[in-house]
Amino acid sequence: MLSVEAVSHTYAGAPQPALCDLSLQVPDGGVYGLLGPNGAGKTSLISAIAGILHPDRGEIRLDGQLLASLRREDARAIALVPQDHAFYPMLTVRENLRFFAGILDFSAAGGRRRIDECLAFARLTQVADQRAEHLSGGLRRRLNLAIGLLGQPRLLLLDEPTVGVDPQSRHFLLESIAALPAAGTSVIYTSHYMEEVQAICRQLAILDQGRVLLAGPLDSLLCHDEAVIEIAGGELPAALCEQHGLAARAPGCYGLSRPDTAALAGLLASLAGAGIGLKRLHYGQQDLEQVFMGLTRRSLRD
Amino acid sequence: MTRLLALWRKEFLALGRDRHGLAALFAMPVIFILVMTMALHDAFMPGASIDVAYGIVDLDGSDHSRRLAAQLDRNSSFRLQQRSSDPAAARDAIRNGELALVLVVPAGFGERLLLPSGSDGKATEPLTVMLDPALNPALRLAFQSQIGAALGSLRADELTSRAAAQFGLAFTPGRQVRDWPEEIVSVAVQNMRDVRPPSSVQQNVPAWLVFAMFFVVIPVAAIFIVERHCGTLQRLASMGLPPGHLLAGKLLPFFVVNQLQALVMVLVGMLLVPLLGGEALVMPTGGGLLRWWLVAAAVSLCAVAWALLVASLARTIQQATIIGGVGNILMGAVGGIMVPRFMMPAGMQQLAEWSPMAWGLESFHQIMLRQGTLAEVWPGLAKLLAFALVALLLAAWLNQRKTT
Repeated sequence: MLSVEAVSHTYAGAPQPALCDLSLQVPDGGVYGLLGPNGAGKTSLISAIAGILHPDRGEIRLDGQLLASLRREDARAIALVPQDHAFYPMLTVRENLRFFAGILDFSAAGGRRRIDECLAFARLTQVADQRAEHLSGGLRRRLNLAIGLLGQPRLLLLDEPTVGVDPQSRHFLLESIAALPAAGTSVIYTSHYMEEVQAICRQLAILDQGRVLLAGPLDSLLCHDEAVIEIAGGELPAALCEQHGLAARAPGCYGLSRPDTAALAGLLASLAGAGIGLKRLHYGQQDLEQVFMGLTRRSLRD
Repeated sequence: MTRLLALWRKEFLALGRDRHGLAALFAMPVIFILVMTMALHDAFMPGASIDVAYGIVDLDGSDHSRRLAAQLDRNSSFRLQQRSSDPAAARDAIRNGELALVLVVPAGFGERLLLPSGSDGKATEPLTVMLDPALNPALRLAFQSQIGAALGSLRADELTSRAAAQFGLAFTPGRQVRDWPEEIVSVAVQNMRDVRPPSSVQQNVPAWLVFAMFFVVIPVAAIFIVERHCGTLQRLASMGLPPGHLLAGKLLPFFVVNQLQALVMVLVGMLLVPLLGGEALVMPTGGGLLRWWLVAAAVSLCAVAWALLVASLARTIQQATIIGGVGNILMGAVGGIMVPRFMMPAGMQQLAEWSPMAWGLESFHQIMLRQGTLAEVWPGLAKLLAFALVALLLAAWLNQRKTT
């Protein structure tokens, strides 16, 4: 388990802390989603876990061991796949993998074997001798991922790994990432694509302004015990709202707390009797975007 | 060691595919050496003829005026193209660009050769030099000096001849042209043995080699900035690669590249320049060659360290090209690469003391031209190594700051 304990960090000259007393528990053996608007602190947290940002306060441990000590013992334990294409465009796919295998201190034979495995995993064997600068966007993303997997890390940090790829490549990448925990690699995954996070993450945290707003299993975060109805045009009569216990949430939008089947049936009958059209009725589970927008509340970020 | 090998291999592969970087490192200095060596061929050769044509208009037509012309033709570095007795035609020849200078010998020159103007109540008409106004003033002065020397020689000869006749002394008549005084001989002062003064190739090969070595700034910065922009430096840091390893990973490959440059430039000077009519580069032998290589190594360390500092300072390849390229050109201009230091005024020569390129070039010249010992080149080497150390420490500090 990755344990982030009261981590704080303020960049030199910045008015606000990037990470503010942030604590998080990331269990082993899954894909953990990290969501947040721009400037929420996702990349700072990823950088701190990757060892390239030294927080002002707090500590991070993997299975109880401080990360600095873990890295000294095993430089391959945690791998970062940055959002950018972090490799050499003038080198071929195989030359790039060979270079990073050298940095990870693989022996010649061990490196060759691992490179072949990664090429096969990312389905890059056919383009192994092509220069990276000539690859398509999807193939570059796959090479970025393959480099991250070279050292068979216990924890893989993926920072928006599907930006700018076509739907086929995105599907392939998501499938591949979802399969990693079964091979012994836990994943922390950041993305702006809610449907991706919802598709492959079983647990997640939503950050904003350097703090954790919400964290836990996806199912419980999406569970919602308020029925939400939206009517077609105008407002409901006050008497009807009072009769059924409806609370206004937004113009034309009302919430009904913990309704049972009979209460819902009564409400629908009243609406039909009053000749009021129903635009939308939502109950039981909300989608991730609703949770995200409800928590972060702001519609536009830098 | 595996990490360093991987870094070195990557640098060689990347540089091998950087055509612009290779052109800046190898093609540019070779072209400069060939062009500048041939262009400055005569400027570095004492007594070489000057390809400037002159004419003589002899209005006197005396034995003395003919002897003056012969004396000038014999000892002048300029090229005699025509003799005539028509000043208007000579003026036209200057206007047409056929001649740059014309000496007009006035009528009565021979008669009044030994009579200062006014000494007998009559004026002595002076020798006149007509010249192309675009002619270099230094060449004009040189021509006038050579006329003065020929005139002095002629007068001395005439005086000797008359004195011999008056006092009945032995004198060899009939010799038309005599050397007064004896020819001046230039001797280059060496530490151990006499060799010829520096030739154009001996100035240009080390000069453009030093310049080219500093141009590693272009490929070093290009790769470094790509690494930074693509997040590769972050990835390497997350893999636990210390910034020191990263710098060491660049130091050795570009040091090797600098040594290859030295080999290529020396071979160009020794083999290619003579094929084009220039003088072959003469390299020191034995201990001198070792000292020459030590200077090349120190210049290389300085150049690569400077390149790493520029790459660490610059945010974009454009910035690196401007800082590195303009910095190199300034160091070269001030440091005697483009214009040899001995041609600079005293103030500029003092300014050159601050250019690392001047430290390298002066050390090369100390060994190649004056057979300098290690003690004699040590001040230059020490300055180069100190510059390299400071630049490396600054680059390491900047990288440490950026990656954390």
